[in-house]
Formats: sequence, C-alpha cells, structure tokens
Amino acid sequence: MKDKDDSARPKRQYPPFYERVVPIVLGIIVIAIFVLLFLIVGVALGWFPGGR
Amino acid sequence: MGSINTLLPFISSIVSFVFAFLVLRRYLVRKGTHLLIWGIGLVFYGIGGFCETYYGAFGWNPFVFRLWYLFGAILVAAWLGQGTVYLLANRKWANGLMVLLVLGSLYGLVRVFGAELDPSQMTTSVHTGSELSGHAIVTPGVRVLTPFFNLYGTVTLVGGAAWSAWIFWRKRILLHRTIGNILIAIGAMLPAFGGTFSRFGIPGALYLGELLGTVLMFVGFIRATTPIKESS
Repeated sequence: MKDKDDSARPKRQYPPFYERVVPIVLGIIVIAIFVLLFLIVGVALGWFPGGR
Repeated sequence: MGSINTLLPFISSIVSFVFAFLVLRRYLVRKGTHLLIWGIGLVFYGIGGFCETYYGAFGWNPFVFRLWYLFGAILVAAWLGQGTVYLLANRKWANGLMVLLVLGSLYGLVRVFGAELDPSQMTTSVHTGSELSGHAIVTPGVRVLTPFFNLYGTVTLVGGAAWSAWIFWRKRILLHRTIGNILIAIGAMLPAFGGTFSRFGIPGALYLGELLGTVLMFVGFIRATTPIKESS
C-alpha cells in the first residue's frame, strides 16, 4: 500500500522553463570554470602576454 | 583618462559597498561566518573599484595602485570564496583554510607595499594602459601571488555557487536559491574573463566585467534570499 502511495505521488518539478534551462546553464558554467582555471594557470606559467 | 574608465568602476564600487552593507547587516541579524567573510570580500571589491575610479579621474598614485592590487587583484576573489567555504565545508576545514588565507593575505600586503613600481610598464604590452594593470609592479615574486589567490577564489566561489545550484536543482527545491546561485556563479566569473579580454588589448573589458559581475552577484544574492511564492 505504501509503495502504491509513493508511486502515486507526483515527482517534484520546477516550472518547465527552468527544467530546460537550469541544466544547460550549469553545464556552461562548468565548462567556463575549466576555461577560467586554464587561463589562470596559463597566466601563472607565462603562456599569455602578461599577467594582471 | 576616458570617462568610461572612471564611470564603470565608480558604479561597481557603489554597488559593491551597498551589497557589502546588506550582507553585513544580514550577518548582524542572522550571524553565520560566511556572511561576515562575504561582507569583507565585498568591501575589498568596493575598494578595488574605488581605486580604479581614482586612477581614471586623477591618474597614477602609487598608494592607490598598491591598494588596488592588494584588494582588487589579489584578495577579493579568495575572500569571497572563503565565505562560500564557510557555508559549504565543515567548520574545521573552513577554519584551517581561513588561517592560511589570513597568513597569505598578510604576506601579500607586505609584498605589495614593499614592491617597486613603474607605471610606464602598464603600456608596454598589448595592454592599453587605459586600466590599472599589474605590469606596473617591477619587483619579481609579487605578481606571481595573484593566480594562487584567484585559483582558490574561482574554485570555491564559482564552484561553490554552481554546486549549490546543482544540489537544489537535483532535489527540485528552493527554485529561488537555484536561480540565485547560478547568477552568483556567472557574476563571479565575469571579472576574470574581463581581465583576460583586457589583457588581450580590449580597453574597458576589465571594468565592464567587474561592473556586470558585481551587479549579477548582487541580483543573485537578492534572488537567493527572497523565496518565490508558489502558485500551487
């Protein structure tokens, strides 16, 4: 009976717009973090014309 | 000096100080070390913007430059990130990292205020010299500190905000915090990207990145601390 009640309970969801957009934006942020880390390490190692 | 290079950091500075005031006021009401450290980090952000404004309006001043480099270039990201560490990590780890950060900050203070400066160096690379740049520091071993602080700040501040947003999204709870943390993560990255574009010779990129960054983080903070009324 308990299982039946659980399956009948609707899964929590954000509004459709956020369901679509949030994972995409988070993915972009993760990629951007790696790009940023690459740039910071690059500046530290002198790969670029100048550091800050 | 261009008016844009005075106006943009001036607005950044004002937004940062207002943001810091709200965060520190929240700290006084709710406590929470993360709020105190964020507030201090935002004051650093504001000091950085103020120094850039001074440079844009009045030109070179060695003391203002040193303040800018210490607070605006070295410390700001790391201190903001340390606030996130206090929010997400266990207290023991956060305290240990805090001790390291304070010691590192004091070391940075001594090195920056003891460094030899040459403002003419700011225009010797692709950097246009329209914005403040660490190139003015001639003494070796000072500018090399900056990436370490910024690495720590990026991982903790941006990574922490993205991680929080992911946790809330996965559980499908507290939508306002998901949105707020995403805005904070994006805002925290913009000054670093602005600095990179500036380094590649795009004038105004750093100051624009800093302004958009502080505005986005401010909006993210307001969003994250203001629940959305659910319709059903």
